[in-house]
Amino acid sequence: MARVAPTTRSKILYFLCLIIGSLLLYIDINYKIFEGVKNNYKSALITSSYLAKSIMIDPFVHIYELSKTKSSLIDQNKKLKRELDESYLSNFIISRETKFFSDNSSIEKLLDFYNFDKVFHLSEIKYFDSEQYFCCDQHRLFIQLVIPSEKNFIGSPVFNSSGIVGQVISDSGLKEVMLLSDSTHSLPVFSDDYFCNASGTGSPGLISCSYSSLIWPKPILEGQKFFSSGMGGIYPRNVYIGAAKNIKKIDDVNIKFDIDLATDPLKENNLAIIENK
Amino acid sequence: MKNISLFKIFILLFISNFFESLLAPFFIILNIIVPITFLVFSFIVYSSRTNFNAITSFVLGIYVDLISDSFFGLNAILFSLSSFVINSYSNTFKLFSYLQICVFFGISSTFYIGFLNLFINVQNFSYPVLFVSFIFNTFLCLILSMSKFYIPKLSINNRI
Repeated sequence: MARVAPTTRSKILYFLCLIIGSLLLYIDINYKIFEGVKNNYKSALITSSYLAKSIMIDPFVHIYELSKTKSSLIDQNKKLKRELDESYLSNFIISRETKFFSDNSSIEKLLDFYNFDKVFHLSEIKYFDSEQYFCCDQHRLFIQLVIPSEKNFIGSPVFNSSGIVGQVISDSGLKEVMLLSDSTHSLPVFSDDYFCNASGTGSPGLISCSYSSLIWPKPILEGQKFFSSGMGGIYPRNVYIGAAKNIKKIDDVNIKFDIDLATDPLKENNLAIIENK
Repeated sequence: MKNISLFKIFILLFISNFFESLLAPFFIILNIIVPITFLVFSFIVYSSRTNFNAITSFVLGIYVDLISDSFFGLNAILFSLSSFVINSYSNTFKLFSYLQICVFFGISSTFYIGFLNLFINVQNFSYPVLFVSFIFNTFLCLILSMSKFYIPKLSINNRI
């Protein structure tokens, strides 16, 4: 049966849809008024996945455990299951070669190394969109405090055992962390007498800086180490950020280079939020 | 192919979006982007017996925006455009060969990827990725359309 080609009326309807779509797109990009809807959807999805798992899978696991006669084995299974549940991240589990169930000792060691006297709160990754991280500009992480706190952590820096990971930008239940490589993120860094605001590239593990050779005649070298300058008032000073690479001349005067971040947000499950005040 | 109910389309898009997000990290290593959700939607519109309503396409686009965490309106625009083009050329497609239809879907998916990247990934916009994705998506459509001849039980009773 032949389909009828769109009539003038339906063409107008399509045109109207395009106009409304463009308007929504403009509003979302500039004012982000749909963030609440998106966050609600995400939290509903995470909650339902947990509920579905606890209703559909856990009873079977429980029956299986009951069938075991050795009580010590059951206890060990329960313990492992509880620890796995805690580290369960939506559909993504971080289990690299480093220790899987990390504690806060490695983070404490790092903070002691930098002589930070500020209080930190241990937290765990609850949701991480790996697709967004590898394909797109928006690099976000959702974390939850291990011991709940009433304090407001917006603007607080977030660390793992290798260094700075990002900063908290939203604190409604789950804390949303903007990673250093997010294209909208900016981090003041320095190396010797050179300062710059390194912005996220949208590529995993990379931030970039540019400078004019008229202002900084001393060249930046491959592998040159960069540290946080503390100028933004968010991050502490003198924390190792990464090493320079991909140094490119944009024109006769301007030079751009990337900084390969020392921290990998995928490496560890446990993070520390530093109290700002 | 029979017209699918709207509820089933919502579920199909959710499942295809889930698979897309699972496969995307592996494909991107090979410089390939496969917009499974968009291709599924395009196929539904293409294989529908009647014309797809503009508002239905728009609502489905908004729904995909929500589940894929992209800007609101981005998929809505592209889905509306896609359904308009497919509806306009629905009768012309009957004169086309399988290869031509697959190339059309390859081109439309490349346009979709390019437009999407302009908004959500402009700093890493890459023409090689678009080119490789075009070839891959066209071949993917060809393989799916050939499955009708080699695995008749699995095929859908329509072209592509």
